[in-house]
Amino acid sequence: MNYLDLTIKEIHEALVNKKVTPLELVNEAIKRAKEDKCNAFEYIMEKEAIEMAKTLTEPEKDNLLWGIPFAIKDNISTKDVPTCASSDILKDYVPIYNATIIDKLLAKKAIPFAKVTLDELAMGGTGATGHLGKTTNPYNNERMVGGSSCGSAAVTASAIVPFALGSDTGDSIRKPASYAGLVGFKPTWGRISRYGLFPFTPSLDSLGFFTRSVYDSATILNAVAGYDMHDFTSSKEKVDDYTSDLDKSIKGVKIAVIKEILDTISDTNIQKKFQETLKIYQDLGATINYVSMDRHLLKTLFPTYYIISCAEATSNNANLDGVKFGLNLEGDTFNDSLIKTRSKGFSERIKRRFVIGSYSLMAENQNELYLRAIKNRHKIVDEINKILKDNDVIFLPASPSTAPKFDNKVDQLEDEYLIADNYMVIANFAGLPSLTLPVGFIDNLPFGFNLTAGAFKEKKLFNIAKALEDKSGFYNLSIRTKK
Amino acid sequence: MKTVDLKRLQIAANRLCFDMSEEEYQTLLNEFKTVVKQMELIAEDKTIDQYEPMVYPFPCDVTILREDEPIKPSSRDEILKNAKNKLAGQIKVKKVNG
Repeated sequence: MNYLDLTIKEIHEALVNKKVTPLELVNEAIKRAKEDKCNAFEYIMEKEAIEMAKTLTEPEKDNLLWGIPFAIKDNISTKDVPTCASSDILKDYVPIYNATIIDKLLAKKAIPFAKVTLDELAMGGTGATGHLGKTTNPYNNERMVGGSSCGSAAVTASAIVPFALGSDTGDSIRKPASYAGLVGFKPTWGRISRYGLFPFTPSLDSLGFFTRSVYDSATILNAVAGYDMHDFTSSKEKVDDYTSDLDKSIKGVKIAVIKEILDTISDTNIQKKFQETLKIYQDLGATINYVSMDRHLLKTLFPTYYIISCAEATSNNANLDGVKFGLNLEGDTFNDSLIKTRSKGFSERIKRRFVIGSYSLMAENQNELYLRAIKNRHKIVDEINKILKDNDVIFLPASPSTAPKFDNKVDQLEDEYLIADNYMVIANFAGLPSLTLPVGFIDNLPFGFNLTAGAFKEKKLFNIAKALEDKSGFYNLSIRTKK
Repeated sequence: MKTVDLKRLQIAANRLCFDMSEEEYQTLLNEFKTVVKQMELIAEDKTIDQYEPMVYPFPCDVTILREDEPIKPSSRDEILKNAKNKLAGQIKVKKVNG
């Protein structure tokens, strides 16, 4: 056993008791990172992390993040550290400022350890489309770890670090968390400043994190939540102590299960486990309410997401032209240079998304595509908020299966209506806090269930998640501690 | 809505300052057909126009005026450090006007 195999809370105790030092943790993380078989790294901050660790000599008893190394999805700005969002278009780009979330973690003396892979520009759900190729699942390298926060999930599940930052636009933290046996959390939209996050779909994007326990997730939120003048969409809503109610009884809590989503899951192991888990909640005093949602509306989740995300993405990435930063190819004229740079810098699938987005925004198409999608978003959000008016959380399997194998049609648009695979985008549409936690294994592959609460109800969400974690025993999972 | 065809997709791509191969346009065209077909599901909902377009999940409280605070801006060198072509403290690009 190594201290990196432990949760943040446990490592903190070891640091305070001087059983281990930040430098020893960083050195072990470097050793493990060099043995990585998942292709999870864009850049290991070896020198920077060692330098910082050497300065940390006196543990801070009340600061759980002191001396804890962490990984950063490579679409989050880190001053003087290469950041390319796993895309050739950002070749050699080095940000000149830190994202607010990085500054807040540095203020807590957590140690930035590595920049990790993602689906190119965070647009994808397989972990197979970054410029370095596939990032694989640490439990089985022939399987996906999911995306877009693939590297963050892989390094946390490999116990290279005890936590990693990710971003979530559709389910980019919560789905990989299920495939990698982790706690994956996205907060209420605006709860964490997004200053310094490369925008993909700002009306849906949230920063969040992967941890190996619910307590750790709440601990990080305590450190990074709050208003930021650099991000006008960040919220001024009061910041709670998210760890204070974790062990409170959940007696009387109301848990909604959407029948039409659950019914689309055909895996009998997942269905069986779900029923067992509902029983755990009932035994703890919670009430389970099966609720309904129009199946036709559920079928529209994915096209609504696709149109909105492509439309916002094409606008937000218009600045990637190679003039101010990133890949820059010479051309005969200014325009020729832009076309060469953008044609080579973006992969085919990113270009497809941009064209679809641009087409949806054109005046002659907008009514039938973009406007229709954002009206439908409103309808979906109204339906979800109705459910949450009478319930504390919505509870469902995070994915209809364990991590799938890679196939050749990676990230091509499906002709089917994959409700169970796409429903978690509801939390992004409505800006709700949402958390996936591990609940079991099938054929040595982990899987998780998801809880979504009302806006700014993170404290309640963590409380209900922790109650299940305590009973299920699926705590601190990694390939090194697998039960 | 205009019918989606290869020519229109090429125009859209060129407006975005990139190009794609014939094969890539074909994949895109197929993908478009799927998107349009799936979007028709929303069109079938006769109540959809009763909903206001939703851009953000909740209203953003934008504070227009705030107290002035002195800040240290980034230096010119810092801002230019990622640009490949520079001249006399400016980003150098090809001549746009003749």
